[in-house]
Parts: sequence; C-alpha cells; structure tokens
Amino acid sequence: MTPPTDKPKLLGQCERWLIPVLILAFCGATYWVSTTFKKMPPILKRGIQPSDFPQLLLLLLVLLTLLMVWKDPVRVRDRLMGSTLGTIALFAGFAALTSIDFFLALAVFATVLALFWGERRVPVLILVGLLVPAAIFFTFDQVFEIRFPRGLLTNIWYG
Amino acid sequence: MDAFVHGLVSLFDLHLLLLIFCATIGGVIIGALPGLNATTGAALLLPFTLTMEPVPAIATMTAIYCSATFAGAITAILINTPGTAASATTCLDGYPLAQQGQAGRALGMAVVASTFGGIFSVICLMLAAPLLARAAYHFSPPEYFALTLFGLSMLASIGDGSAIKNLIAGVFGILIAMIGVDNLTTVERFTFGSYHLYEGIGFVPVMIGVFGISELLVQSEKLHLKREVIRMKSVELPSTKDYRDSWRAILRSSGIGTFIGILPAEGATVASMIGYNEAKRWSRNPKLFGKGAIEGVAGSEAANNAATGGAMVPTLALGIPGSATAAVILAGLMVHGLQPGPNMFTEQADFAYAIFWSMMLVNLLFFFVGLRGAKIFARVTLIPVEVLWPVVFVFSIVGAYALDQSMFDVWVALVSGVIGYFMRRYGFSVVPLAIGLILGGMLEQRLGQSMVMLDEKWWLMFTRPLTLLFLVLTALALFGPAIWGRLVKRRAPLDSTGE
Repeated sequence: MTPPTDKPKLLGQCERWLIPVLILAFCGATYWVSTTFKKMPPILKRGIQPSDFPQLLLLLLVLLTLLMVWKDPVRVRDRLMGSTLGTIALFAGFAALTSIDFFLALAVFATVLALFWGERRVPVLILVGLLVPAAIFFTFDQVFEIRFPRGLLTNIWYG
Repeated sequence: MDAFVHGLVSLFDLHLLLLIFCATIGGVIIGALPGLNATTGAALLLPFTLTMEPVPAIATMTAIYCSATFAGAITAILINTPGTAASATTCLDGYPLAQQGQAGRALGMAVVASTFGGIFSVICLMLAAPLLARAAYHFSPPEYFALTLFGLSMLASIGDGSAIKNLIAGVFGILIAMIGVDNLTTVERFTFGSYHLYEGIGFVPVMIGVFGISELLVQSEKLHLKREVIRMKSVELPSTKDYRDSWRAILRSSGIGTFIGILPAEGATVASMIGYNEAKRWSRNPKLFGKGAIEGVAGSEAANNAATGGAMVPTLALGIPGSATAAVILAGLMVHGLQPGPNMFTEQADFAYAIFWSMMLVNLLFFFVGLRGAKIFARVTLIPVEVLWPVVFVFSIVGAYALDQSMFDVWVALVSGVIGYFMRRYGFSVVPLAIGLILGGMLEQRLGQSMVMLDEKWWLMFTRPLTLLFLVLTALALFGPAIWGRLVKRRAPLDSTGE
C-alpha cells in the first residue's frame, strides 16, 4: 500500500468545520437529554441537581469548542487511507459474525485483517487466525474460568 | 515502619517473584513492539489480572509500566523509532551512536540511566507518598474537589494534542463518566432505558478501545513503513569516561523525572524532553547533542524512567493519576476494589509498600534483562504489523469481554477504538479522555459533598486556604502557559536587538 501524497484541500476544509459542528450538535442533543432528568426535591438533592453538573460540562465544552475554532482549528494531515477504512469495515464484519460465534468471528477477523494488511504466508495466517485465538480461548476458559458466549464453535466445547 | 518491612516480606513468594519476572520480560517486549507502549500494554493486560490477588495484579501492571518505559529505548536506538513516546528524545543521540557502530554502548548507557532513574524515583515514592497522604488525610470535600480539578487542569499540557483540544477530550471523558445512575441522588442519567448503561460505561473497555484498538487503526496507516534494525555485537556497560561524562545528567534527570512524574497527569514524555534539554544545556559539549552524545541518551532515559515512580505518588496518595499508564493502574486498583488515596496508607499500607518494593525489584530486574536480552528483544521489533496487530485485536476483544463477561463491553471497546482513532486523527489526545473518565465521577461527587458541606454557597470555597491554593494552581495550569507565551513574545524583539 502506498502512502497518500496530496493534501485534499476541500476535504480538509470540510473536516475543519465538520468537527466543531459535530461537537456543538452533540452538546445540543446531550443538553436536551439532560433536561429530561428527574429533579430532586430540595431536601434530597444533596447539593446539586442530577442535571447541573452535566449541563455545566456541556457549557464548558461549547466554550472550548468555540475557542478551538478561533485559536486552534482542526487540521487534517492526509485523507483517510483505504487500509484504515477497510479495517473499520472489518470491525463491522466482526460485529456481524459474533451473532454466529464469538471465537469464529475473532478467528475470521484476525485472518482477514492479516491478509488485508498484506500477509500471505499460510503458516503465519494459521498462527494468527487459528492457533492464537484457540490458545486465548483455552487460557481464559481453563485458567481464568471465563465463560464465553455460546455459538457454533463454543457449543462444541461447552456441550 | 511495620508496613515497610511487611511490604518487602510479602514479595518473598516464589509465584509472585516469578510473575514479576515474567511481567518485566513481557513489559520489555511490549515496549519494543511497534505501536505498543506501557499504557496500551497495561490496558490490554488489566483483564488478565482480574483473577489475581491485588498485590500480584498491581505488581504485574507496575512491572509492565517500568519495563516498557525502559524498552522504548531499544527501538529508539536500534531502529530510530521510539517504542514509546517517552523515548523520542533517546532517538536524537541513540540512533546516531548506533550508526557509528556504538549501539551496544548507547543501550548500555540507556540501561544504567533507566535503572538509576527508576530506583531513585521509587525511593522518592517511598518517602513522598506517605507524607503526601498524611497531608491529604485531613482534606475535606472542597479541598478534594479543588485538587481533582487541579489534576484535570493538568490535562491541558499532556499528550500530543493542543491544550484546548486536550481539555475538550478531558471534558468529553468526564461526560462519559456521567452515564448511569447518579451516586448522589440515584437518578438515571443518559441511560436511554438500557440496563447495560445503568452502572455506567466501564473504564477498562474504554481504555482498551482508546489505547489498543485506536492504535490498530493508526498502524493501518503505516503499513508501507519498513523497519531495519542496526546490528550490534552486545550491550556494553558504560566506560569510566562515559560515567564521568554522564553522571551529572543522570542525577539531574532523575530529579527532574521524579518531579515531573509527581505532577498530576504529567508523565514520562514531558520528563524525558525536559531531562534531555537540561542535559544539553548543562553539557560541556552541547554541540555533540543530536550527533551521538552519550549524555543525551543518559539524560532522556534517566528522566523517563524516573517519571514512573514519580507518577505513582499522586496515583496512590491522592487517587489522581500521575500519567496515562498510572491512570490505567488506577483503574486496575478500582477494579480490584481498592480505594487509592490517603486511607491507603493507613488501611492498606502493607499493600502500598508491597507495590513500592515490587517497583524497586522491577528496576533491578530490567537492568539484567536489558544487559543480557536487549539484542534478542531488538528482534521483536521486526515482527510485522500485519501479524502483530491481529493478535493484539484478539487480546483486546477477549480482554474487554472478560471483565464482566459482557458483549456490551466488546462493543464499547470497538466504538471507543474508532472514536479514539478519529480523535487522534484530528489532533485530540485520547489520554485526557481516559483520565477524565476516571476522575469524572469523583469530581462530581466531591462537588456535591462540598455543596452540602458549604450549605450550597459555592463561593465559600474561596475562603478555605488550601482550596483556594488548588484553585489558583488550576488557573495557573490553564492560563499560565498562554500568559507566559505572550510575555515571552513581547520580550523577544528586545532580546533580538541585543545581537
């Protein structure tokens, strides 16, 4: 994979403004949610209402975000690389596969990630995708007595 | 005094000694692996310590902390890539020395300086932490609130982000800590009716996400990088001349590193930068710096390892993390049901001293491990990222699951990892987020207690001398650098006219 060479000016401008806008939108939505918290009667409120502190923080976050826009705007180095986007997409694939089996998902993810990142040696792929997940499964199961979610493969072990 | 001896005696357990030895070797490997550092290593290994007793669990994590901090020097010297950010300044002189065929000499000095810095700081830790705890024993909620606020204000200057962005990340972390049932009033906040969120978001999955999984995504950008290790025969102990040239730098940097480490949230990275700069400033041959000055390696390495002991002082005595890795260790203490703070030195003094002694032992151990094994550990750096990081991912996910045996924690780790990656991409450090998450609940609780104590008159905080002192320090930490920067800027033209 080759590193990106050009600085995407338009994308950089978008991201520069997109981040503060996202933070401010998050603050707005969170503030609205905080207004739905129960209010305690004065005798039970123990100093501050449950919504007071989060609201104070949100106000601080808004001020800091405006200060960031003014003093220290977001700068983007390069565009998002295909390898990064692909890896995030693999996370989604992992999440989907966990519904079939947790360790199957881990094994498949580890193998596909190694392949995607350029590993082609079959023994290494077997090590990464089969031996390591199996070793971790048995270590946690036998030594730490952790029970993993049941699924296609784990059912064979748990019976 | 009893606790001092009991702590030492508790280490005379074969299993514990073996565990500390393995953790030291593990830490050196973690520090030498590309992309992994003490913080990520401690976060990833935290779930593995769950079934252990508190002493072995925390000793394992502190061993990882000390030895991984040292091991960053191996990659810094041999491949010009700091294994940890704290070793960035070691590259400046370590790599030129390696290029001149003196890699063994540079590594030998790194081992000696790191060991000295580490032991010096543990001695300071043994002396300072109980004293600090004794002073803090009489703190009331307003003092604690102001102290926690001071600890959080120091977030402005840590990590690789700017001050404003660090503070944004810190506030975001505190906001995450607000999720769940409010401890003061038992009112549900930001739970959206989900029972998973009832007890809030766990520290451990978030830390695994922001330190481990986000780093995986960062590594996905570096697949094109090729690493080459400079060959060396063996690690050499420094010569008499090297000692003569460097002892002042080692001593100075040990003091600097310990002091910087004690400051809340400031860690080994800042310590090594200051240690290196001071070594250069006081050197008889400052022009040699950057070209292979052995004093540069000594100054940087003594400072970054001294910061490990220093960082544990506020962590154990006040419950305020002294660095990012100390924040993970603090989370480990909480997960094991321990409450760091002044009470630790009255109610769990044996435990505290056992940790101090284990840190001392680790610093001695990595002296021998470094001297004998650096050549082997250098090869670890050549493990391809496409092999290493899928394995790290499996560890991360299983670790996130193992804490509460909950798939929800796995999703939290994954989402935190993606958020952490984008934060880093846009210049926000993830360290303040993690520390904010840990201290957030504490901060609110202490504010609430202060308000009850002061009859809801918050301005009375300013009438309490210690509270006022911490608030002034907070203001200085937040606004001091900007004011200082302006003053220096104004003075700069005057200075330049003097030429």
